[in-house]
Amino acid sequence: MERGRNLWWVVAVSGVVTFLPLLALAVKSFTIDGHLTLEAYRRVLDTPQQWRLFERSAILASLVTAVTLPAGLLLGMVLGKSDLPLRRLFTLLLLIPLLVPPYIWAVGWSDLFAPTGLFAHLFGQEAAKVASGYLFGLYGCVFILSCVYLPIPLILTMALLRSVPRSFEEAGRMVAGWPAVLRHITLPLVAPALLIAGVLVFLLAFGELTVPNYLRYDLYVVESFTHFSAFYDFSAATASAVPIVVVALALLLLEERVRLTFFSEPLPPTSDIPMALVPLGRYRWPVAFSVALWVGLTAVVPTSALAMEAGGWANYVEAIQRAGSSIGHTLLFAAAGATLLSVLGFFTGYLVRRRALPLWRIVDATTLFLFALPGSVVGIALVALWNTPLGGFVYSTPLIILLGYAAKYLVLPSRITAAQLALIPPSMEEAAQLVGASWGQRILYIVAPLAWRGLLAGWLVAYLFCMRDTAITMTLYPPGADTLSVRIFTLMANGSPELIAALCMVTVVLTLVPLLFLGTLLRGVVR
Amino acid sequence: MVKKETIVAVVSALVLAALVWLVMGGKLPDLASAPKVVVYVSEDRVFSEPVLESFEKETGIRVEAIYDTEESKSTGVMNRLIAERGNPRADVYWANEPIRAEVLKQKGISAPYRSKNGDGIPSHFKDPDGYWCGFSARARVFVVNGRVTQPPVSILDYTEPRWRGRAVIANPLFGTTTAHMAALFAYWGDERAEAFMRAMHKNGVTLSTSNGESADLVAMGRFDFALVDSDDVINRMRQGRAVRMVYPDQEEGGIGCFIVPNAVVLIKGAPHPKTAKRLIDYLLSKETERKLAFADCAQIPLHKGVPIPKELTPIEEIRVMRVDYAEVAKKLVAIQPFLKEWVGL
Amino acid sequence: MIVLDRIDRYRDGRPVLEDLSLHVEAKERLVVVGPSGCGKTTLLRIVAGLEAPDRGRVVIAGKVVSADGRILVEPKDRQIGMVFQDLALWPHMSVAGNLEFGLRVRGVARRERGVRVERMLREVGLEGYRNRRPSSLSGGERQRVALARALVLEPKIVLMDEPLSSLDEALNIRLRRLIVQLQERLGFTLLYVTHNKDEASQIATRLLRLGG
Repeated sequence: MERGRNLWWVVAVSGVVTFLPLLALAVKSFTIDGHLTLEAYRRVLDTPQQWRLFERSAILASLVTAVTLPAGLLLGMVLGKSDLPLRRLFTLLLLIPLLVPPYIWAVGWSDLFAPTGLFAHLFGQEAAKVASGYLFGLYGCVFILSCVYLPIPLILTMALLRSVPRSFEEAGRMVAGWPAVLRHITLPLVAPALLIAGVLVFLLAFGELTVPNYLRYDLYVVESFTHFSAFYDFSAATASAVPIVVVALALLLLEERVRLTFFSEPLPPTSDIPMALVPLGRYRWPVAFSVALWVGLTAVVPTSALAMEAGGWANYVEAIQRAGSSIGHTLLFAAAGATLLSVLGFFTGYLVRRRALPLWRIVDATTLFLFALPGSVVGIALVALWNTPLGGFVYSTPLIILLGYAAKYLVLPSRITAAQLALIPPSMEEAAQLVGASWGQRILYIVAPLAWRGLLAGWLVAYLFCMRDTAITMTLYPPGADTLSVRIFTLMANGSPELIAALCMVTVVLTLVPLLFLGTLLRGVVR
Repeated sequence: MVKKETIVAVVSALVLAALVWLVMGGKLPDLASAPKVVVYVSEDRVFSEPVLESFEKETGIRVEAIYDTEESKSTGVMNRLIAERGNPRADVYWANEPIRAEVLKQKGISAPYRSKNGDGIPSHFKDPDGYWCGFSARARVFVVNGRVTQPPVSILDYTEPRWRGRAVIANPLFGTTTAHMAALFAYWGDERAEAFMRAMHKNGVTLSTSNGESADLVAMGRFDFALVDSDDVINRMRQGRAVRMVYPDQEEGGIGCFIVPNAVVLIKGAPHPKTAKRLIDYLLSKETERKLAFADCAQIPLHKGVPIPKELTPIEEIRVMRVDYAEVAKKLVAIQPFLKEWVGL
Repeated sequence: MIVLDRIDRYRDGRPVLEDLSLHVEAKERLVVVGPSGCGKTTLLRIVAGLEAPDRGRVVIAGKVVSADGRILVEPKDRQIGMVFQDLALWPHMSVAGNLEFGLRVRGVARRERGVRVERMLREVGLEGYRNRRPSSLSGGERQRVALARALVLEPKIVLMDEPLSSLDEALNIRLRRLIVQLQERLGFTLLYVTHNKDEASQIATRLLRLGG
């Protein structure tokens, strides 16, 4: 009762942040020039071409998911649970593709395979031409987007590995070696995390525009974008975004069904004994070599190409000068956005996991729909909502950007919290309730401390996504409050390639340094 | 006695509030202090930002700008202008081509203003009702790879067999290429323009995502020529890359070169109309045109007698494609289904 | 059967076990008692091979399995069954799945696995439970599954870490009797940890007191 009362404010806040923009979008899609009509839907959905493109988008998204999930799981196990040398460095390097606008990687790889590129120098023009042929098209899109989104299942796997009770693995080790224990015991217990990682990767890949556009792979989302960008047809843009929402809903239902069928048992809480690392023994260096090869190909090569393009210190100095206040904005908005998101996400995740109110499904679904929708579409909905005489107080400040982040990315910390809470039996809270603790006290003293890993993971993931966001920021930033990713895009038109590359490298450093710092702090606190 | 968790909740709320306050710039929204003007800019930031900084320095009026990206990467400031129409935030819109200015006029988002500095600009580069005025133009030209000995001379070269598979063009759903195709439809009529585009397709033309990308592909040697904006070519030339510029259709009786001027627009209901008009006057001045001519964008002044660098040709020496930009704007919408079909969407 | 030779084990710089030597005869039921934190669980983990002693040797059936910080024989190769304090029943597997896992990874044929699982479930009085999930079982039933899992591979040594601590008195007594009966029938060496005096006296053929 008391819990329900307290959670209504969570519903109210998340309603303002997510449900209202979604409603505004829906209303816009049903109106043209102030009249209610289905014309936008009819125009957009009534062509066979649309469905062909939709199928292509689904194929791309499925392939990217099919590559990143097993790769992320495998790498997550190796980097998170073995005694592999340099595993922290490898993890950090694998994060890099996620930090920079994916378009930059597409351009980078294209330059690498150009007739005058490095590949041609090393392997000849013919080989470069063949490689380029594969890059421009479906395979190139799958490769680049897989590299970009791999960190999502990777990080989630590593976080969830720490939540498997050590005794479960030890009981297995009494009868079997590590490979069988990992396969039959550890893996099935971390699999639920991968479900949501799969859904998120699918939606991100489905909504990705700039890479397929550059690599000339025509997609459904390009259509929605074209309506908007070239013809300013917001009703049509929203109408054509609806099938994406339907896909998101289907994935949500599928994920829930699979989770309930196969993974409904909560795990006992873990003790403070650190997680057992799997000794690789004589496979240590071959595995290290394989991982290094993978990391080299997917992260080091494109980052080095970017660094080489950036050139000498003078370019970095110029980049920082050109970036100006956007550096401070980027860090501030990302940190503030991540904090807002992790706090709100913690409570919405709690609401969803504990099903504390009947509305929990709507809250969960709304956050996922907004994640699925193109950022610019969500942004315009927020303009419609907040650009009013009353809302101007918010709209004319960078706070509108935070609301944009919250609308688009709330699903990430929310689901991470929900996954973490799945590992905490309700009996923990119930025990506190029975001794008289209020809901607030239970959250503060029982739930939050037990779920601290999820909170931190939620903050880090939210921080990453806020840092790299372009579409939302582009649509909403007040004059003079642009971020680095926006500045990269605005300077890209006729800005020198060296400057753009240097700005991208600055973005990478700005994202990684706080993460490294937090990681060091965390190790000190935990041990 | 105050409960511990109440203190924690209050402190957390204060920390969050402080973060939010910081994000808001550490101050309350501006309530009319120093004079300012809010401008949304579609012209490339690398070129427009220095001009706006000069305005700020010379007049003391603070400029708050929102810049655009290439259309293929984001939906841009036009959509923000349209979304904000009920409660305009911008005072001025600096468009990089007049079609967008026309769209704003047609949607009732702009207001008429005839600046004295626009008097010297030829009438076919201005809206007759005063809703927009052109300045500092780009020409739609060919960027040609240095190794090509016999360059293309007409837009019809896109359909010539000797250039089969050797030409690239930016996606005609975006940017100045859209405007150019619409201009061809306006100039030739639908039938001829459609036939031209189909022939181009049959001749194996490749689509790029932007003029910039087209120019880079030609500079790299992947293709022999592309139709781009003049500033894209001059930019690459000044980077030392092996390309040259050719104005198409300059022969006697030729259709001429499509010119794309910048256009400046006063937003209807602008929050700061006085400073808006001062900015418009500044942008339409000969001095601004001179700056933009000598900048890397190398844009062609529309005023007579403005000094220009040697790579540029004075506007009066270019055979210009005479089109009504209002008609081009209307055509742009009308040919949308054909363009989508042509692109393969 | 089991020899511990001058074992030292430290944790965070503090000694958990110091200069401990121990002989356990085959088929003996050795119960280890002592206050909390005296190293009872650590002793079991060292014998199991889940931890290595910092100093000293562990010898099982005449073979040195751990010595001076190194685990020379992996837990799975020591022919040891273990019942953990939290039982560690795998929640995503059924009762049969929990028992079969060890047989499966050793390549035992499906039919043979089914026979052995059924036999073990009969031994512990859980016929008909094969398809149940651990979360649907009572405390006593879960204990018996854990016991069955430890015994299904017919180990020479069984380790039990306070397996009956969360059960009521009546159930505790019943399961103590079961453990003794199984040990006498199957003939394994039992190393049993508890802090309950009654349990210790009923089960042990020999007592070891740790921690003074």
